[in-house]
Amino acid sequence: MTDKGLEGDGPAIDVRGLSKSFGPLTALDSVDLTIPRGAVFGLLGPNGAGKTTTVRILNGVLDPTSVTKIDVLGHDLRREAEAVRPQVGVQTDTNLYERLSARENLSAFGRLYGMDTPSSRSRADELLEMFGLTDRGAERVERFSKGMKQKLLIARALVAHPRLVYLDEPTAGLDPEASHELMTYITRVSREAHTTFFITSHRLDEMEGVCTAVAVLDDGRIRASGPPEQVAREAVPRVRVRVTPRVGSDMTAGDLTTLPGVKEILSLDGAFAVDLVREDAVPSFLRAVVALPFDLLGVAEEPPTLQEAYLALVGNHPARADGQVV
Amino acid sequence: MRWSRAWTVAVKDMRETFSTMQLVAPLVVVPIVVVVGYPTVFLLALRLTPGSVEGLQGFLGGFPDSAVPAFALATSAARAAYVAVVYLFAGFFLLVPVMVSTVVAANSFAGEKERRTLEGLLYTPVSDAELVVGKISAAFVPTIVFTWGCFAVYSAIVALLGVPVVGRVFFPTANWWALMLLLVPAVSLLVISIVVLVSAKARGFQEANAIGGSVILPVIGLVAAQASGLMVLSTGLVAGTALVFALADVALLYLIVSVFKRSRIVSFLP
Ligand SMILES: Nc1ncnc2c1ncn2[C@@H]1O[C@H](COP(=O)(O)OP(=O)(O)OP(=O)(O)O)[C@@H](O)[C@H]1O
Ligand SMILES: [Mg+2]
Repeated sequence: MTDKGLEGDGPAIDVRGLSKSFGPLTALDSVDLTIPRGAVFGLLGPNGAGKTTTVRILNGVLDPTSVTKIDVLGHDLRREAEAVRPQVGVQTDTNLYERLSARENLSAFGRLYGMDTPSSRSRADELLEMFGLTDRGAERVERFSKGMKQKLLIARALVAHPRLVYLDEPTAGLDPEASHELMTYITRVSREAHTTFFITSHRLDEMEGVCTAVAVLDDGRIRASGPPEQVAREAVPRVRVRVTPRVGSDMTAGDLTTLPGVKEILSLDGAFAVDLVREDAVPSFLRAVVALPFDLLGVAEEPPTLQEAYLALVGNHPARADGQVV
Repeated sequence: MRWSRAWTVAVKDMRETFSTMQLVAPLVVVPIVVVVGYPTVFLLALRLTPGSVEGLQGFLGGFPDSAVPAFALATSAARAAYVAVVYLFAGFFLLVPVMVSTVVAANSFAGEKERRTLEGLLYTPVSDAELVVGKISAAFVPTIVFTWGCFAVYSAIVALLGVPVVGRVFFPTANWWALMLLLVPAVSLLVISIVVLVSAKARGFQEANAIGGSVILPVIGLVAAQASGLMVLSTGLVAGTALVFALADVALLYLIVSVFKRSRIVSFLP
């Protein structure tokens, strides 16, 4: 399996100038995406940003209005979608077959991917085991809870050992343990089998931990893309240092304001977040802090989080005038 | 076109369709009343009170004696039994597959759209043509199996209750074989094709079922009403009619397969 994932060395997804309109509404506007093989890519964006539309188009299930290049796993999707589909698994906000059992839902999809009946059954059992649903496998899906259905949808996307997996808001409805396990699984499979993951989400905390690359999509446009730390730094141009004095030390914010390069100070629980004017103000600030007559537990750079970046990138629109339906 | 892949789609659909009595019960009950109930009552009445034939004379007299073999002309009860079994009830056997295939096909296309399961299927490597053929088979196979099952039950009832009245084994006749083996499949396929076309635009199962039914029933009703006449005239005519339907089937199926593109469906999904 591992070597299979490595064959072909171009990017898993390479898209240029992807646009999609629904009547007067522009859902995607000149989107460019390059996702290397084995990456865990996160497409982040608010409701109605165009995430699901992107997933649908990248699977040839929806036609783009215009696109200059749309290569998936080395194939031009416009001409060779049949070569791509067997290697791809997709979970979107669709439903399972409620009147079939969990096991049947999985094995039926295995067969649709060309597996024979015995191997589709054993793969179904393997996935039920992995998602902790073994004891409910024979039960009809209509009796499942929302989270159990969500797990089954994700499992269904993994049935045929895909080399590229799309997960459209995979953790919606999952409890924290299940979300965490899924993220661990994604990280492991992307490393071990070199599987590429394309994940859409609003759960920025989760995405930050698992993604090797992200793009922020808003109103059909890519606002930023790259490794999460880089996106965060570019979107949030601030330099923050966290100063943690020893418990019982009587250091106050006032002691820090006068130091060189300080712009703003936030008092946190027993610590101070100090925003500096520029990155090159950091060394002299640090020397000055250490020289102060207080015992310190630590001084550390505090990089911006993906969450902050995201809010900075998508938050700056006044009320949407086009009355988008989400 | 990989037939096994299409068949997988069909099997999945059939399992789903027949896993609930909600859909199956009404489909089964009405035909059973028609196909088992009516002939049983009719043939029993003929056996127990042969005089009742007189009351039916106006009804059965319309069928020419030339359409009844000599052995069945011996008594008026025998003649009545023969005419009813061979001609009168033939129309029902066109209505049964029409009913079944309309409901099953609407469920498999429009119903799957409505239940939001179709999109998942579109991501799999199943080709557009395999998907259509699979779904058409998922309606066609149960329709034919069920209609033939009804035919078998009907034949048994005739053997049990009709043969004693007529005096010898007379059923199934050649025109019935033509009806079952040629006309029923051809008509079913036409009905399914129409429902598939309607389902593409319909919002849900109910709508597809209603629109499909209102398009199909008048046409098929007409054919069913003429079925007795068709059967009287000749076996060749039954086969000929089946051929006309088969040509319409080929044209419609060709249209469906060439029009059906997965990227068009998603735009209509909820
Ligand atoms: N079939 C369609 N017909 C018309 N408009 C559509 C269609 N599908 C999507 N849209 C519009 O395109 C825009 C993007 O929708 P999309 O579903 O891609 O958003 P999303 O980023 O997935 O949102 P969410 O986070 O809510 O899932 C929305 O304004 C939506 O109303
Ligand atoms: Mg979405």
